[in-house]
Amino acid sequence: MTKHHLPATPDTVHWGYFSKTLAPVLTLKSGDRAVIESITHHANDDYARMIEGDRAAEEIFLWTKDQKTLRRRGAGATDGPFTYGSGEGLGVHLLTGPVAIEGAEPGDIIEVRVIDTWPRPSANPAYAGRFFGSNPAANWGFQYKDLIEGPAPREVVTIYELDMGEASVKALYSYLWTPQTDPDGITHPTIDYPGVRVDHTTIVKKEGILAGISVPARLHFGTMGLAPAEADFVSTIPPNYTGGNMDDWRIAKGARMYYPVAVPGGLFSCGDAHASQGDSELSGTAIEISLTGEFEFILHKKEELDGTILEGLTHPILENDDVWSVYGFSVANYLSELGPDHQSEILKRGSLDSAMRDAFRKLRRFLMTTQKLSEDEAISLMSVAADFAVTQVVDANWGVTGSIRKSLFPAR
Amino acid sequence: MNVQPFTSESYSGDAGEAAWQDVLRGFGLQSQGARHGSPAHASALSRLSSTGVRLGKFSADAQSLRPLPSRAGLPLLLMPVENSTVLVAGDDRQIVAAGQLILAPRGADWQLQFQRGLRAVVLSVPAEAFRGRKVPPLAGAQPRVFGAEGLPDIVGRTALATAEALDRLSEAEWEAVAQSAADLLLALSGELVAATSDPSSSRAALLQRLYATIERSIGSEDISIADIAKAEGISERYVQKLFEGTGESFSHYLRERRLQRAWHDLANPAEAAVPIAEIAYRCGFADAAHFSRLFRERFGLPPRELRRREADRQTHSAVASGQRGWPQEALVQLRARQAASGPVRRPAPRGDGDDAGTPVPEAPARHYLPVHAQHVHWGYFSRSLEPLIEIASGDIVTVETLTQHASDDPERMIEGDPGAESVFHWTSTDKTVNRRGAGPLDASVFGRGAGEGFGVHICTGPIAVHGAQPGDVLEVHILDIEPRRSRHPAHAGRVFGSSVAAWWGYHYSELLSEPHPRECVTIYEIVTDTAEPYARALHSYRWEPQTDPSGVQHVLYDYPGVLVRPGTVTLQAKVLEGVRIPLRPHFGVIAVAPREAELVDSVPPAYFGGNLDNWRLGKGATVYLPVSVPGALLSVGDPHAAQGDGELSGTAIECSMTGTFRVTLHKKADIGGSVLADLTYPLIETPEDWVLTGFSHPNYLAEFGASSQSEVYAKSSLDLAMRDAFRKMRRFLMTTKALSEDEAVALMSAAVDFGITQVVDGNWGVHAILSKRLFAQHERGESGPEC
Repeated sequence: MTKHHLPATPDTVHWGYFSKTLAPVLTLKSGDRAVIESITHHANDDYARMIEGDRAAEEIFLWTKDQKTLRRRGAGATDGPFTYGSGEGLGVHLLTGPVAIEGAEPGDIIEVRVIDTWPRPSANPAYAGRFFGSNPAANWGFQYKDLIEGPAPREVVTIYELDMGEASVKALYSYLWTPQTDPDGITHPTIDYPGVRVDHTTIVKKEGILAGISVPARLHFGTMGLAPAEADFVSTIPPNYTGGNMDDWRIAKGARMYYPVAVPGGLFSCGDAHASQGDSELSGTAIEISLTGEFEFILHKKEELDGTILEGLTHPILENDDVWSVYGFSVANYLSELGPDHQSEILKRGSLDSAMRDAFRKLRRFLMTTQKLSEDEAISLMSVAADFAVTQVVDANWGVTGSIRKSLFPAR
Repeated sequence: MNVQPFTSESYSGDAGEAAWQDVLRGFGLQSQGARHGSPAHASALSRLSSTGVRLGKFSADAQSLRPLPSRAGLPLLLMPVENSTVLVAGDDRQIVAAGQLILAPRGADWQLQFQRGLRAVVLSVPAEAFRGRKVPPLAGAQPRVFGAEGLPDIVGRTALATAEALDRLSEAEWEAVAQSAADLLLALSGELVAATSDPSSSRAALLQRLYATIERSIGSEDISIADIAKAEGISERYVQKLFEGTGESFSHYLRERRLQRAWHDLANPAEAAVPIAEIAYRCGFADAAHFSRLFRERFGLPPRELRRREADRQTHSAVASGQRGWPQEALVQLRARQAASGPVRRPAPRGDGDDAGTPVPEAPARHYLPVHAQHVHWGYFSRSLEPLIEIASGDIVTVETLTQHASDDPERMIEGDPGAESVFHWTSTDKTVNRRGAGPLDASVFGRGAGEGFGVHICTGPIAVHGAQPGDVLEVHILDIEPRRSRHPAHAGRVFGSSVAAWWGYHYSELLSEPHPRECVTIYEIVTDTAEPYARALHSYRWEPQTDPSGVQHVLYDYPGVLVRPGTVTLQAKVLEGVRIPLRPHFGVIAVAPREAELVDSVPPAYFGGNLDNWRLGKGATVYLPVSVPGALLSVGDPHAAQGDGELSGTAIECSMTGTFRVTLHKKADIGGSVLADLTYPLIETPEDWVLTGFSHPNYLAEFGASSQSEVYAKSSLDLAMRDAFRKMRRFLMTTKALSEDEAVALMSAAVDFGITQVVDGNWGVHAILSKRLFAQHERGESGPEC
């Protein structure tokens, strides 16, 4: 086993999209481990705490009238004139990768074990060694069209501090989003393009919010996944059959994720790290923070899958000490199901009703295929012992997680 | 509902491909050469009408479709959506753009190549859909492509709009739309006839127009060949000749069509109230007796008999597909009758007189409510039930409850147990608990039995709480839950439960394996004499039609407490071998009486609690219920040994249990500023969490009014339940924790977990879990009811 290190630098990150056209920044053998740094795309919500003094972050976020280190942000157009900016913010997550696994071919499964995660400390001398995150209640949140206080609609950013000693997160202050003009002169009246630095002279900080409330930490990567085969550039927002923006806080230390390989090498990327998140990710974001993770990668070849829990797998599953979880989506594979306009069509399809349907079907199939249950056994067991939860209602392709405890089954 | 959702995601490996071909076969199509390599994906939503009209929307990987060998009927209508397709007929290849229509004869030689993924709407209309009306002869016709204008545009849009709404149309709406679509397709098919290269094509087209004219004038008694000829501007002789060419005279054809039309109207349930003479008249028969004779000669039965048979068939098919709650029409009739009837009364106690007397004034007192026929109400809640006992706030009451599923295995769960025997007692002459459900006592809706099974849970109660008034909150804290042990000599001391994968289950419309649909009952044993108690499956059986002692046959599990007799079902052993299910003992139903209606179906939960089906409501948990009638009228039932979030199959492990509760009344005046202020829904508290209950329709009784007990089943949605859970949690955080809206929203995103409670109780549930740990150092709001 070899242990690699993949820092987050302008050369090792891609912003807002998955792409099978990207050259791998690291190639591993099955069984190798890698420590991968990630930087949150919300770091510019508080530049002083989350970017300043951190050389890599400064370079990645660098954007002046003359220079923009990472031009493309999203899977949208890269030729102007732009509505929002290059890539059009059609996908927002700053991902590190891709990492190729030697010998991975379509039909295989890549297992990613999350060995450990830890936060990236602030490098600003004023906050040195402390950990900060941001939680915007954004225009794509579940609450946005359903606000009862004024002004409505509105976007509100809450900045949090993570206390690793207490393993909890506390709110520091919040502010109402104000129109921000980027260095290219485009004004962003709402949060519509990632990495725009919030000019703190335009906002009013509200202190003393969520006083005395401490949110238990649930460190995890919101986005981990492989490159899909269907299109060259795919938005990072909707999760899909190769994983991506799953936003399940259970994909944390100790978790093993299994992803179907769609392109040679698999092409794994990760980012969108969270200090904590509730099931549903209601406001559109979690507590977005920069984390570093240690991962182990294991390649399961197609011909070795029968008789294992990976038999017949065409979607991501989670395994941890307690459960197996399948992920139901509003549209199971939106890239192939929704036609040429899939990237915009999926934005209209978010529904828990269809995600529940998908989760039911996937869990039934999982139980019938891997536990050799009859359909009647699978249905009875799902009713009396499987738990369905709302994963997220904000990532266009909404999610319902179906979990079944491993302890139900005798050792086989 | 006969909507058939399909997706290859349900299947493993090649089974998906075979199932996809099955779907296509229903349309007279087959698929060829799905591209290999990436996982082949296909999904479809289709629906079949009673006359055989089938409409579907497909979405699948690139592949070619061909017609299956001939089946009689109109040409297929195919409409590519989003992507274009290539129509290959003989040596011709034609690109068909998205939105254009293809009319392609069945059984002919053509294929459609969807090279960029198959996305299409398909309409299939068999000849039977027209009940004897002539369908144009199309042998040798070639597929034809129509642009989106004129009639083809109307046909295309109708098909597309219907496909989009397929799973939202009611049965009656769908039948009407399907028939219209069939008629439109028939009209369009005329164009195909006109386009055939056959020299007789113009004659065929003319004949088709004559048929259409006849259809329009069928109601006029004295329609003559001269009228028809005149309408088309041709000679009578030519009309006669045209008909002779079809081997049928004009007058014979006309009479046949009139009789067919009459058959159709007589069979239509919507016309059941129209006198037969009027239907005859409307079809051009002025003399009803003459009509009856002709009708009998043609169809072998008198019109009246046909109508009766059709009515029977309709009732039967409604039963076979299962329907929960009140049908709309029956509710309308009920309202008329209810004006005349008094409130619900429980049958008078039969002698043993062990009812507790008047409450002891000094609290806390202990009470014990054993279960027997006089202590339960079955399948409904009612503000008019006489309370069994009145207790004071703070009293402790132990309540025995029975599962309504004990009848799934009477030997293990009823026999030898006097309480259970008393409740389930049912012979041809005596049924101790007659009313089961909120339906009519005379079973005049479906004939299932008294109460019609509109509501199924055996509830023990109600218990009145002294001084409780609307606006107060009742706290029900669960001190203990004990399973009820079998008293049958062969099983004495053991504990059993049953779980039914029923027709109201989430899975029922899309079972994979044969036969389907089907209902399956699994009997579980609850093993308690171990450190970690668990349930294990003993055996299962497929539900077989059961005839109850009153002589009603239950093809489906549509009425509670029908004893499953040994020998009527085939037990399957070795079910879920080795699987151990950790227990989560809880009560599915804890309710106070709702105020809105006299009799309320026990199945849909709402603001008054009821069938919450949340396993967190176990020992150590508390539920707070808003009181809406004097005395609160608390009832408990539907005990579960274990259940998953979702309760997918329709039931949990249903197992009789006894609960001990501490019941505390919080007066409206005392709860301002506490978590109970402004409580309008069931709030669950566990030692660690607050659990808020969101529903598709938080107060469906008020929302839908008179039709609520029917509508609530028609409009279930997790999206609505999530919306409700969000709003309730926002309100809870703002009201009881004094957070601003922005703080509440931020906290919900970062720390509140939303889960799916159930998708089977009509009013679906999403709960929101808030950990109390978050507030350990928080001082702004109240942390609990300090009263």
